[in-house]
Amino acid sequence: MKTPVVQPAPTPAASVSEFIATFAVILVTIAGLLLFDTGLARIDVSGRKLFAAREFDTGQRLIAEGRIEQGVEHLRAASTLDGENSVYGIALAQATLADGRPRAAEQMLMPLLERDPASGAANLAMARVLTKEERNADAKAYYHSAIYGLWPQGAEKDRTAARFELIDLLARSNEKQELLSELLPIQDDSTNDAAQRKRIAHLFVVAGSPARAVAIFREVLRRDQRDAEAYVGLAEAALSIGDFATARTDLLAAQKLMPTDSTSLKSRMILTDSVIALDPTQVGLSLPEQVRRSRNLLELTLISVRRCVGVQAPQVAAALDSAGAMLLLGPARVAGQAQSIEQNISLAEQMWGLRRSRCAPESQDGALAIIHNRIAQ
Amino acid sequence: MKIPALPQRLRRAVEDLRRKEDRLSLLLSLVIGALVGLVVVAFILLTGRLTSLMYPAAGPGWRRVLVPTLGSLITGYLLYKYFPLARGSGIQQTRAALFIHDGRISLRSVVGKFVTTTISLASGIPLGREGPAVYMGSGLASVIAHRLGLTRLQIRSLVPVGGAAAFAAAFNTPIAAVLFSLQAIVGDLHAPILGSAVLASATSWVVLHLVLGDNPLFNVPAFHLVSLAELGVYVVLGIVGGLSSVGFVKLLLWLRARFAKLPRASLWIQPLAGGLTVGIFGLFVPQVLGVGYDQVERVLNGDVVLKAVLILAALKIITTSVAYASGNAGGILGPTLVIGSMVGASVGAVAHLLFPASTAGAGAYALVGMGTAFAGTIRMPLTSVIMVFEITRDYRIIGPLLISNLIAYYISQKLQKEPVYEALSHQDGLHLPTRGSGAQPGVRRVSTAIRDAPGSLAPEMKVGEAAERVTDSKFESWPVADELGLVGLVRTRHIEAAVKQGREDMTIARLMQIARRSDGERSVDLPHVHNDQPLSRALARMRDNGHKVLPVVSRANARIMLGVVTLADILEEYGVERADQLDYRDHPDL
Repeated sequence: MKTPVVQPAPTPAASVSEFIATFAVILVTIAGLLLFDTGLARIDVSGRKLFAAREFDTGQRLIAEGRIEQGVEHLRAASTLDGENSVYGIALAQATLADGRPRAAEQMLMPLLERDPASGAANLAMARVLTKEERNADAKAYYHSAIYGLWPQGAEKDRTAARFELIDLLARSNEKQELLSELLPIQDDSTNDAAQRKRIAHLFVVAGSPARAVAIFREVLRRDQRDAEAYVGLAEAALSIGDFATARTDLLAAQKLMPTDSTSLKSRMILTDSVIALDPTQVGLSLPEQVRRSRNLLELTLISVRRCVGVQAPQVAAALDSAGAMLLLGPARVAGQAQSIEQNISLAEQMWGLRRSRCAPESQDGALAIIHNRIAQ
Repeated sequence: MKIPALPQRLRRAVEDLRRKEDRLSLLLSLVIGALVGLVVVAFILLTGRLTSLMYPAAGPGWRRVLVPTLGSLITGYLLYKYFPLARGSGIQQTRAALFIHDGRISLRSVVGKFVTTTISLASGIPLGREGPAVYMGSGLASVIAHRLGLTRLQIRSLVPVGGAAAFAAAFNTPIAAVLFSLQAIVGDLHAPILGSAVLASATSWVVLHLVLGDNPLFNVPAFHLVSLAELGVYVVLGIVGGLSSVGFVKLLLWLRARFAKLPRASLWIQPLAGGLTVGIFGLFVPQVLGVGYDQVERVLNGDVVLKAVLILAALKIITTSVAYASGNAGGILGPTLVIGSMVGASVGAVAHLLFPASTAGAGAYALVGMGTAFAGTIRMPLTSVIMVFEITRDYRIIGPLLISNLIAYYISQKLQKEPVYEALSHQDGLHLPTRGSGAQPGVRRVSTAIRDAPGSLAPEMKVGEAAERVTDSKFESWPVADELGLVGLVRTRHIEAAVKQGREDMTIARLMQIARRSDGERSVDLPHVHNDQPLSRALARMRDNGHKVLPVVSRANARIMLGVVTLADILEEYGVERADQLDYRDHPDL
């Protein structure tokens, strides 16, 4: 006959009072544990925060000393210990960027931005990373988020710094329209000091709006007539307009205010003199002088073009050499001197257009660029 | 009208509650969830606090050798002397408690697990907190249920509920916790405790967030697939992850088997081998110490140096295996994730080096690698997918994760037949139900057809003597047992055939040997079934090895025979009428 071998174990059924008492003990234990855990968590959090702050300070100090790799380790420790503090995370990302690892920095910033998409500091850090990675379009978007994002109270300087970084990026990438649109909102910002206003004015020149630059420089000079840098700025604006004589006058004024002089001022003066000496459109020149200058301009333009395309297409360079030789033979081959001037200038302009489309500007072509800019106007 | 006094009203309410099982279950799920959540949070905080005391910033290098060595020595002694049941991970112990001891886990074992694992993890032993937490959670549920005087069935149903609550708090993954509990502890995704497990898991998770805030286990950047071609790299990751998981499991089991062969008296000092190994490696590579979640966070955030992650993956496999196999307190769930992330980061770093434009950074691969290792080692691909999804909170990871996980799971299944927890249980001599063999309502179990075993035959008994005992018996096979318990089965017809051939002097052991050779591939050393297995399993076993009688053995020790089950009894249980039982008198035409 079958017999069940394993009997279910008899379970002692607790009485109602035992049941209630057990439940009471459990509830008291829960309450006690909640207090214990909360206390322990507080101690843990404050300990971690303290340690994180120490690590952060050490990291920042090491980075300031140029020991970036070691600094990164400390900042990482700070960020791990106090993950809620985005300052540590951002500092770590920036240090990682300084360590030459933009991709890793980007990865670090992503969760911070996910957590707080409006964070001005995180957006600015991300913009810097993307600028380093030459992803300018993305970088611009993050710069905008940084400018219009949330910053801690009293961090207006950071917001302005973000805008200036964006402006620098736009100036570097020669995006004049966007540069202008970023400059306009800060043009009349009274909080900007003289140095910043001069910087803005300089950027207006870069953005192709020298008239606005002149207005700002003049306003700076109204406040301080002995500001040599403002005169230099005015000269720069005048050069970009094509008013070379005014540029020279402004530079001389700057020179008087800076008797010890700086190398940059000297080089500007030399540049302005070269421009004045080269300009075939200058008022008051005799016809032969105009012819000479136009031929000189054409010759220099051809040299510049040859230098540019010679590397890329030697055959074109050779053709340019022979065409140039024909053109520069002398006035006997040309019907009239006036016609010759126009032809030379027109040809030089076309050549310069070709050069500009194929090669980056070179410092040695500074005067040439200014003249052609003026002719184009 | 007289209003009953408050105690009396309370008494009535309690009586009412005890009668309504579903309400009691609901209440207990909440209470267990809260209590287990708080205990696990305390466990996490204490471990962290002690770790920072053991390893202060800029501490000397010798500490890295001394602390794990001393830690393993202390835990080894405590485990040997006071808490023998707290050794190891806790998952297979929880299963053993559920299937062998009716869900009973003592408070002493829970306290022991808490103390020894805290010391072990704080001293830098690279094992995980999750397995022990599951044991503690299940243990607390068991203790509560027992103290409340609940029935055997109620205690059994609350054990996995406690386990789910603990897993949710330990990993911060409440959904994966429910799946893990059902799959790894109960072995049945359709178990009727689903609702209670969900409730306890959610409560525990809320407690975790209440105390520790909304901090995920890892802060992970947004995941994105750079190109479709990247899926090919995830296939490679699945293969590498699967192979490394198999390597890890095989090394761990091999080392554990070696340690198990050492004298029992050395049990207390065995964990020292793990502590010393960790200490020596830790002296040169400090990242080896501890479970390594900080390292995981680094690689997940893209801070990957190929050489470093490769070395760390290899060292983690070695140190975790030695530490676990030598008997230190701690689990393998956490280390599995760490190893997976390192392997994933290595594959990702190589891929990014070769195809920088069409692959994401190594961090994304580290993330998928974690899931891959979990699927390959623990063999729970679905739980793994949900867990990684909960960790990342990013749905876009699902595609690559599924691809890698399934490949790793497939490879692991092919190269390592037994899942790690089942293999560990077998090493301990426990035969627990395998996954998928779980309870289904209405299924008839072996326990319904079990009968008393006939007196067993001794291996040294002569065939002639045995023949006298088995004559006129209805049993077609007889159990053979020595002083330690069951050793096998011998067929009645083999005994009779031997007698016919005049081999009465042959021993039963020799006869079994000859029978085993003649059976060839069908031969099994100890064919058996367990009480809780379905009768269909018993039928399948009978088909496989040709015996019409099978011993029913204990899950705790397969050599302890609880009874036998015969083919006739099984057929009777299914209501199949047998020709020899027909009453011919009622059928004169027959």
